[in-house]
Amino acid sequence: MTQAPLLDVQKLRKSYPIGRRGLFSRRTLNVLHDVSFSVAPGEVLGLVGESGSGKSTIGRAILRLIESESAAMRFKGQDLNTIPSGRLRDLRKDMQIIFQDPYASLDPRKTIRAVLSEALDAHGLHRGPARGPRLTELVNLVGLDPSFLDRRPHEFSGGQRQRIGIARALAVEPSFIVCDEAVSALDVSIQAQVLNLLADLRAMTGVSLLFISHDLSVVRFISDRVMVLYLGRVMEVGPADQVHFAPKHPYTAALVSAEPSLHRENRRIRLTGEIPSPLSLPSGCIFRNRCPYALPACADTVPQLQTVGDQHQAACLRHDIL
Amino acid sequence: MMSMPRIPTRMIVPSLLLAALIVIPFAAPLITAEDPIKMAVRYRLAAPDLAHWLGRDEFGRDRLARVLYGGQVSLTVAFVATSIACIVGTFFGLIGAYFRGPSEFITTRLSDIVLCFPPILLALLVVTLFGPGAGTLVAVLSVLYFPTFARIAFSEALRVTSLDFVEASRALGTPSRRIVLGTILPNIAGPLSVQYSLTAAAAITIESGLSFLGLGVVPPAPSWGQMIRGARQFMNQDPLGILIPCAALVLTIYAINFFCDRLRDTLDPKGGAGSGMDDVSAPLALANAPAIDDPDVVAMITDLRLETSRYGTPVAVIEEVSLTLRANQCTALVGESGSGKSLSSLALMGLLPGAIRQASGTLQLRRKSGDVVDLGFLDARTLEDIRGNDIAMIFQEPMTSLNPIHTISGQMIEAILAHRPMSKTEARSHAIALLKRVGMNDAERRIDSYPDQMSGGMRQRVMIAMAFACEPRLLIADEPTTALDVTIQAEIIELLQSLRQDQASGLSLLFVSHNLGIVADIADRVAVMYSGQIVEEGLADLILRDPHHPYTRALIESMPSSHEALHSTGGDRLPAISGTPPLPSARPSGCAFRDRCPIAIASCAEIRPQLYPSPDGERSVRCLRAPEAPGGLQMSRTEAA
Repeated sequence: MTQAPLLDVQKLRKSYPIGRRGLFSRRTLNVLHDVSFSVAPGEVLGLVGESGSGKSTIGRAILRLIESESAAMRFKGQDLNTIPSGRLRDLRKDMQIIFQDPYASLDPRKTIRAVLSEALDAHGLHRGPARGPRLTELVNLVGLDPSFLDRRPHEFSGGQRQRIGIARALAVEPSFIVCDEAVSALDVSIQAQVLNLLADLRAMTGVSLLFISHDLSVVRFISDRVMVLYLGRVMEVGPADQVHFAPKHPYTAALVSAEPSLHRENRRIRLTGEIPSPLSLPSGCIFRNRCPYALPACADTVPQLQTVGDQHQAACLRHDIL
Repeated sequence: MMSMPRIPTRMIVPSLLLAALIVIPFAAPLITAEDPIKMAVRYRLAAPDLAHWLGRDEFGRDRLARVLYGGQVSLTVAFVATSIACIVGTFFGLIGAYFRGPSEFITTRLSDIVLCFPPILLALLVVTLFGPGAGTLVAVLSVLYFPTFARIAFSEALRVTSLDFVEASRALGTPSRRIVLGTILPNIAGPLSVQYSLTAAAAITIESGLSFLGLGVVPPAPSWGQMIRGARQFMNQDPLGILIPCAALVLTIYAINFFCDRLRDTLDPKGGAGSGMDDVSAPLALANAPAIDDPDVVAMITDLRLETSRYGTPVAVIEEVSLTLRANQCTALVGESGSGKSLSSLALMGLLPGAIRQASGTLQLRRKSGDVVDLGFLDARTLEDIRGNDIAMIFQEPMTSLNPIHTISGQMIEAILAHRPMSKTEARSHAIALLKRVGMNDAERRIDSYPDQMSGGMRQRVMIAMAFACEPRLLIADEPTTALDVTIQAEIIELLQSLRQDQASGLSLLFVSHNLGIVADIADRVAVMYSGQIVEEGLADLILRDPHHPYTRALIESMPSSHEALHSTGGDRLPAISGTPPLPSARPSGCAFRDRCPIAIASCAEIRPQLYPSPDGERSVRCLRAPEAPGGLQMSRTEAA
């Protein structure tokens, strides 16, 4: 990448205290271990992983909706860790989020006009007579009718609510949006509409997306690059098609093979055992207790991400066997 | 939901009653010209007459005036104190819940301290310190009641704060003050306003009690408690004197409570209808059930129509659904949300929600004994015996279908003993054997754990083990893997497959799902539902590889996994169908899919398509343009796309 990244995250960590052991020592649960990545302007980075992989935590940590630790977290060159709170509010105009649950993400008591106006008011955008046309433009942008503006969320279907959530995120013209399972709760036919909408918006506005999802096919379709997480660690990161069709990490391979498909003969890679508890992770590679290719050496060292192809990295001692 | 400008009908009577009781005391000068404190000892305890409708009290004061002006004092004290308590308490609760940290500590501890004191003792203490009087009363009552408001506001605000829309406001950079007042406060207003009415009623009682003890309003100022106190000495000669203030008190408290009850019902999004428990509507028995001759048929749904009522008129949610479930076969019921796939399976269990009525059609089941029964003719006892024994069901979310406060062993033993006469130890070893069968290692130890000590995949295995406890002939699996991770999902599907093949008695599996990929893995036959109807049915391979109904085709085409060559970066779009499925009350005429159909023609609006069977009987499709339809003009796949 020659361009300076829009977002650059180095060694992101997040831990939660879970009770005390003695008076001063606290037990902590680490949900993210040194996650590093960057997003280029206009790029869509897909984030996949199973529950407990920490993918939603990453999205919220970047937006500073939860506190986290990191060596560096730069957005447009500004360090998000040290930014004063006044500047952070300005920065929120540039970074937005779309939520999974279209029912919980809209205040049931507010009309769509109030929902979208809140976004504009927060940053003093399009005041006075400019407000009306801007709201109409926003609802048109997401394929809704302007007559919907004065209705409340309960009058809409899940797909329409998701479009309203997208319009809210777009209202402040952000350059970066976290899509946290943004299409997962939608029915297949509606999901395709919303995916197309996101692809169109990206082509039109050049917005960058961090697209978080557990659905690998959806992530492959929408993303330029894909990052695979397992228990808070990056297993593999690379161009979407390569990660999907030629994975270099056994976990990615297992995930792809487990995905039910109409068109592929399923040759599933069987994983033994259960996902280990985050409180007692195996030594060395955290995937080794379920990995069909694990060697004794996997217990000794934590594999680091190493380059396995063009822009393609995997954290596996045995990446060459796949 | 609540719509603000319109007052619901059920609020009219309690609101008018409450308003009258509040307005009348304050309109006292208009009602009576008498002075409530002017004594006329000559007329003490005089009986009612035209000038003094309620008579006179022990000092000859006019009772009507006293009860009205006393009401002014009682109501003012009660409502002012409650308002102060509500505002202060809500403030503390909101701050504590939104900012957490030290403010949370202050809110909760402060209210804990106040709650530690017995209310009457605290009141007595303050009155003794500051002397009686209306001002002191207001102060005492505010301190007494603010913790309740703080607690309610705190817990409700905590719940609302965790919702996505509050997070969205934070992500937008909306200032905290505006989030707290503009977003959180309106969403906790419901419980707070109910608490306000309850507290106001309680405050009136306490005010009267303290005045009665001589610690409240100072004589000669009137108050209802004062009136009772005065009239008590003359109770035997003049019972009216004590009855009047008591009646005022009772009426006011009743009006407030009546108002609270109705308010709570109105603010509850569920509308407070029904008894909380879902009434299970009795299936309708119809005499013309077709005879089932084929011994392989485990269950048969014929021409099922389910209705709900909307503004008094029946609306069909499911129409013309017929389905034959055979032994050793997996039938998948596929569709999007609202298509009616779950309702069809619940009808087989006799577990339809109370609002849904079976209007016509039959639901037949072949029991283990070989008898064919019509589920519509059975009494509740027999149905209970059938559930779990002949038909078992597994649900989407194993956490909510298992009871979190009982161990797995307790729940499994209970389920086994419900249908099989055996001892508890036998049931326990049977349960362990079942858990081993569903692939649980170390079942002897893990059977004694609680549901929350297990992963989602393990809990679903427990549900499956429980479903197999009595070797049912029909297993209904309603989205059993939707809440699970893909790797776990694949394991559960594999487990269901192997259990199905193991079962000697020939299990029939009805698999309800929206995920066509899983359906392709597990199903022998597929029925696709759209807007309450089966639109295509037949062998899974035929339907999924070569769908004839445009909706089935659109469903498959919309899946990103159907297009491994497409990529959004290259400007590709998914072939999505526009629009959304119609509501049951707003289905278009003719074919329900025609509004969204890429190949619809004029006659689709006029003719309601039937399920047209193919010549070999392997599939049928509800589309005028399918090759199966009489004179159907099938477009090739490429043309349609």
